[in-house]
Amino acid sequence: MKRTMAWILALVLALSLAGCGSAAQTSGTKTEEKPAVELTVFAAASMQETLNRVIELYKQAAPNVTVTVTYDSSGTLLKQIAAGADCDLFISAAQKQMNALDGSLKGDTDKNPDGLDLLVQGTRVNLLENKVTLVVPDGNPAGINSFDDLKTDKLKLMALGNSDVPVGSYSLDVLKYLGLDIAQLEAAGKVTYGSNVKEVTTQVSQGAVDCGIIYATDAFSAGLKVVDTATKEMCKQVIYPAAILNTTKQQEAAQAFLDYLRTDECTAVFEAVGFTVVK
Amino acid sequence: MDWYPLYNSLRIAAVSTAAVFFLGLFFAYYIARLPRLLKGVLDVILTLPLVLPPTVVGWLLLCLLGPKQPLGAWVLNVFGTKLVMTWWSAIFATVTVSFPLMYRTARGAFESFDPSLAAAGQTLGLSNTYIFWRIRLPVCRQGILAGMVLSFARALGEYGATSMVAGYTPGKTATISTTVYQLWRTNEDAMALRWVLVNIAISAVFLLTINLLESRDKQKNRGGSRP
Repeated sequence: MKRTMAWILALVLALSLAGCGSAAQTSGTKTEEKPAVELTVFAAASMQETLNRVIELYKQAAPNVTVTVTYDSSGTLLKQIAAGADCDLFISAAQKQMNALDGSLKGDTDKNPDGLDLLVQGTRVNLLENKVTLVVPDGNPAGINSFDDLKTDKLKLMALGNSDVPVGSYSLDVLKYLGLDIAQLEAAGKVTYGSNVKEVTTQVSQGAVDCGIIYATDAFSAGLKVVDTATKEMCKQVIYPAAILNTTKQQEAAQAFLDYLRTDECTAVFEAVGFTVVK
Repeated sequence: MDWYPLYNSLRIAAVSTAAVFFLGLFFAYYIARLPRLLKGVLDVILTLPLVLPPTVVGWLLLCLLGPKQPLGAWVLNVFGTKLVMTWWSAIFATVTVSFPLMYRTARGAFESFDPSLAAAGQTLGLSNTYIFWRIRLPVCRQGILAGMVLSFARALGEYGATSMVAGYTPGKTATISTTVYQLWRTNEDAMALRWVLVNIAISAVFLLTINLLESRDKQKNRGGSRP
């Protein structure tokens, strides 16, 4: 028994070494024209499906660049960047988070409260436009058909992003425009807060809430029914800015990726889920 | 300051501990008598929530209780109520994660129980129920109390599974742990600190009380496991 085990162990070791050896050989014989670059992108959670697709396409366009993305609410990402996280490119779901990092707005304590200067000036661009929508679970059990229905008793529980999440602050704008008092809704126990737009989307998909306010693109990607869309008057335009951070070690590569995001190939990907590309 | 999260957390932990007390004792008592293989397998299954990350536990609970899942949908149809997004949804989460603590400590206490005491009770013609509640439990009091303390503390501090199953509805499902997270996320660090201190204070007071009770117990029972 012991001998058999010893032989099996030796065989396994030999095979794994052979595997390593051949891997080393193949990478050695390939002549790389460009040095390998690693880019770190922080992007709003609502960009998950589209940006993942873009990164796949970018692998063909620039095979030497490996792009790693962290998706979360723009508020969380802002906190992480401000705390010193390594990031080359930041794409936020609202101007608010980008403003808080913009050195050219240093004097404005409203827009840049901590006086941060972390963007490379001149690289900030408005990338995409999205729409804020009211969605309901399959079958619409609570029968909510418009933003106005939120004022009625049809609404038992609604999911919103919290105020740190861009879609959450857009939602509050919409509710204010409709004359709904968030404090009253909270007191009636009608609101549950998610920490990013995907969490809100999941709660609606699961039927755990009667409705939720998310982006049109998230509704599309999750296959949720949109019953109402917010107009410009309700929450202003939902613009996604992008910028390169001045702590980056590969500004050229970051700029190349940012330029790539604005090509026709990527425009098609973004528009397919409902984004509008800002020209 | 809105004290609802404190009231809600304590309420959830109390109900959860009561449930876990009965469940833990039940399983500990009956599983100790099973054949070794079956006992081992059940042991693993029942202790699993202790070592699984709370988010895994939360995900599994949602698979069971979500309004579109078989059980959740049935309850919605028959009772007209969702099992998730209510204040008592958190109790499913806390019971699941604190049950292993009660179960293991009770099992340990029962297995070190001197069986001759139970035998003596039987020769006196006492019923099994009497023996369990009036002889076995008092003798195993220390272990069971320890199990309850751990369960209460775990239930009070539960976050991941609670957040997934009950969400964060201010004034309805908010607990201390989910409130601190939301306050941190919305940059209200001063309020978050207040809740952090409240939680530390409660937990400290609770543990101190238990320590006092235990030391008083030890003094009374000096020299043996006599009830």
